[in-house]
Amino acid sequence: MQAKKMSEEEVNELKRIVEKNYGVILDFSSFDCYINRRNEVYLIVKGISEDLIKIASFAGVYFGRLKRNEKIQLSVEGSQIVGKHATKNVAILDDENLARFLEGLKCKWKELINCERNNFVLIKHGNDFFGSGILREDGIESLVPKARRVMRTIKKV
Amino acid sequence: MMEFPQGFRKKFEEILKDEFPLLEMCLHKRARDCIRVNTLKISREELKERLEKIGWKLEEVPWYENAFFVETEGSLAKTNEFFLGYYYIQDAASLVPVIVLNPRPGEIVLDACASPGSKTTFIAELMKNEGLIIANDVTPKRIKALSFNLQKIGATNVVVTMMDARNIKRLGIKFDKILLDVPCSSSGTFISSFRVLQFWSQHVVKRLSKLQKQLLKAAVEVLKEDGVLVYSTCSLDPEENEENLEYAVKKLGLKPELIEVKGLKYRRGLEAYGKRRFEYSKFAIRFYPFDNLTEGFFVCKLRK
Repeated sequence: MQAKKMSEEEVNELKRIVEKNYGVILDFSSFDCYINRRNEVYLIVKGISEDLIKIASFAGVYFGRLKRNEKIQLSVEGSQIVGKHATKNVAILDDENLARFLEGLKCKWKELINCERNNFVLIKHGNDFFGSGILREDGIESLVPKARRVMRTIKKV
Repeated sequence: MMEFPQGFRKKFEEILKDEFPLLEMCLHKRARDCIRVNTLKISREELKERLEKIGWKLEEVPWYENAFFVETEGSLAKTNEFFLGYYYIQDAASLVPVIVLNPRPGEIVLDACASPGSKTTFIAELMKNEGLIIANDVTPKRIKALSFNLQKIGATNVVVTMMDARNIKRLGIKFDKILLDVPCSSSGTFISSFRVLQFWSQHVVKRLSKLQKQLLKAAVEVLKEDGVLVYSTCSLDPEENEENLEYAVKKLGLKPELIEVKGLKYRRGLEAYGKRRFEYSKFAIRFYPFDNLTEGFFVCKLRK
């Protein structure tokens, strides 16, 4: 995996960005954080040698991608780690709009919790977190990866 | 109408004798749908409650409490819970090699032929994301499927490598436990996919048997002293099973251990096939699609 282990300073910066965007102080102490050239962050259980990670095709869990202006787009798993305690940038969806979100379509929110327009928001339904979207004036753009979309209304021919 | 290829029929009439019609009946049956709870993300009770609420009928798999046979009109893969990685869809038979391996938190485990990851993800769950799992496979396509499933399950202690497992010692790691679920003719999986029998031939079985022995040899080299290796296939063919168990004991010096899997209907390995006698077959288990209405499997446990 072409990624390097993040220094303590870089991990602290990651923590600060997560806190700024989602209001959560995350504890990364049981993980080594790795970052690649695309600014994608991976969480790997502590103690695995860097040399092994270098020759790996994949390792740990993809947490999210750092973006410009101190923003971070979280993966589905990243949103599940952060979401439980998030106090900012959380969008709550109803059943119908969640189905649209999971199909990769634009959807409407039912409720917004401390959300900032044009920033990433965590998608919440019940107590579950389904990944990230981007909050626009007229709705939320779905960022569900293609491979993970759930096609329920669009039928296969 | 679906029929066994001629060579396959002849071979398994000889092996199964009176039970052969039971195998033939499985041509017209389907393996039971099964899901495994991802205990890294949700409890068994919570998932059960949620799925029953959407109308699923769940029946605990007798050989593993955190897996269920499922009856539903809908697709298993189109629920919110599946999207969230709260369960993994797999055949209930493929739980067995990992149950026999019995991985523990903190151990160093190799899954040598890991894709698409049903067993690796199960190992990660049992290890509670502690220790290290090397999940290896050989082609980019298989690695992609494996990585996708590991991500979804939330496994943080798995490192995926792409190499021919016959070269696995290049990693320079010694393992406490190894799962060697080798590439095989998959003849036990015809209940899930009849297509596998289109590729079945005695020639293919022999070629795979040779590869499986090479994989066994390579795995033994990276197993710690007193370490455990579980060898399994979803093949029903003795050349890929009992014959390789004999090879592992007689040529590689591994010690077979007796295994029991509570709740699973199985029989011991074949004592003989054709002119061959299998001295250690009593240590192995094999089950056919008609035993549990799952895919057929062969599993044995060996210690270095």
